[in-house]
Amino acid sequence: MANTENLDNMVQELRRGLLVLAVLSQLGKQQYGYALLKLLADRGMEIDQGTLYPLLRRLEGQGLLESNWNVEAGRPRRYYVISSEGRKLLPRLKGEWATMVTAMDGMLK
Amino acid sequence: MSLIDLYVTEVGKRLPLKGRSDIEAELRSTLEDMLEDRAQKAGRPADEAMMLDLLKEYGPPDKVAATYNPYQYLIGPAMYPFFVRVLKIVLSVLSIVLLVTLGIKLGRQPLGGLELAQAIGTGLLGILGAGLQAFGNIALVFAILERVMPASEFKIDEEKKEWDPASLKKAAAPTEVKPWEPITNILFTVAAMVVLNGYSNVIAMYFFKDGAWQSVPVLTEAFFRWLPLMNVQWALQIVLNVILLRQGRWQTGTRVFSIATSLLGIFIGYMLLTGAPIVSLSTEALLASGAADAAQAQNINAVLQQAVRLGILMAILAQAADVVKNAVRLVLKSR
Repeated sequence: MANTENLDNMVQELRRGLLVLAVLSQLGKQQYGYALLKLLADRGMEIDQGTLYPLLRRLEGQGLLESNWNVEAGRPRRYYVISSEGRKLLPRLKGEWATMVTAMDGMLK
Repeated sequence: MSLIDLYVTEVGKRLPLKGRSDIEAELRSTLEDMLEDRAQKAGRPADEAMMLDLLKEYGPPDKVAATYNPYQYLIGPAMYPFFVRVLKIVLSVLSIVLLVTLGIKLGRQPLGGLELAQAIGTGLLGILGAGLQAFGNIALVFAILERVMPASEFKIDEEKKEWDPASLKKAAAPTEVKPWEPITNILFTVAAMVVLNGYSNVIAMYFFKDGAWQSVPVLTEAFFRWLPLMNVQWALQIVLNVILLRQGRWQTGTRVFSIATSLLGIFIGYMLLTGAPIVSLSTEALLASGAADAAQAQNINAVLQQAVRLGILMAILAQAADVVKNAVRLVLKSR
């Protein structure tokens, strides 16, 4: 029981570290929160809405995302898209991720 | 109002004013999207049961609001070290001032036994109350600052500077204790205790008369009234110096111990200074010695008493300096 709980916590920690890269990589085209949630889930990265929305706000606060309100089918939605600052950062982040994957693959062989 | 509206309002109540309406609007839009999604999947229009399921799954309003306030601190991490530093300085100074004030107050009222214990107890409770009040006020001020000023303004200077490992040597120096220091202190303290407790008659005025040395003791009854308490302070000083000798350096515990013994010393010094004279040369004894006439005898006695008072005053100042030095080092160490 304790081991399962530990494993869950560890997996959660691993995923938490990847969320920024996952979100930035999917916001080349503007998305509203719920659509992004579904998009990430379809691609195998399930994120809790309680994690995603505060993360979007934080990334916007850091200047890596931009957002604007649009009314679609009578419903106002907030759309997020990667900013120019975010676009500059993303390739470097991807590079770091690739280095980590290579290093971890080497360690876990 | 729909259940979603009520839910959003509940979440909004727990959010900071800044950005609240934005979060509320986004939350409402998300919940409506999710509900629509579920209705499509179920193949029927959304109803209250569906809404209840959705909200239950989304989570209690307080938990949802908490995700937007990950750091629900009274005083945040950026400001906390500054808060602790201010708190330590204020509480140290306040404690010292109030303890000295209590000592002076007790000294002015000649109390004994139970009354003295009660007065000390009341005084210490007052100090505790003042300390708690100061703590509360400082915390309140910092909690307000946390909410009205950007945390970046409270970054402590040394955090910005590059850390130099050589500073470890500088920081370690004031804590070192050279063995001769506690040994000298112990020897002098033991000597004082032995002389004043066992051979107090040697502290006297000596004169040669009728072919032999004669002496007149100068310590008065007032001095011997305070001797037991002086013995307690000296015993504490010996314990402190033995600990310092064993440890070879000052630590938080020994500094606090030293402050406490010095405060006791200040209290005793104050009592000796303000009470009846602790030395006295009677006019009769001086006349009998033939060393002085009546007028000179009075002057000699007055000069002796003033000299002793000056000595006590200097001892009080030295101990006060010791208290300040140890308090400052305690505060600096805590940085």
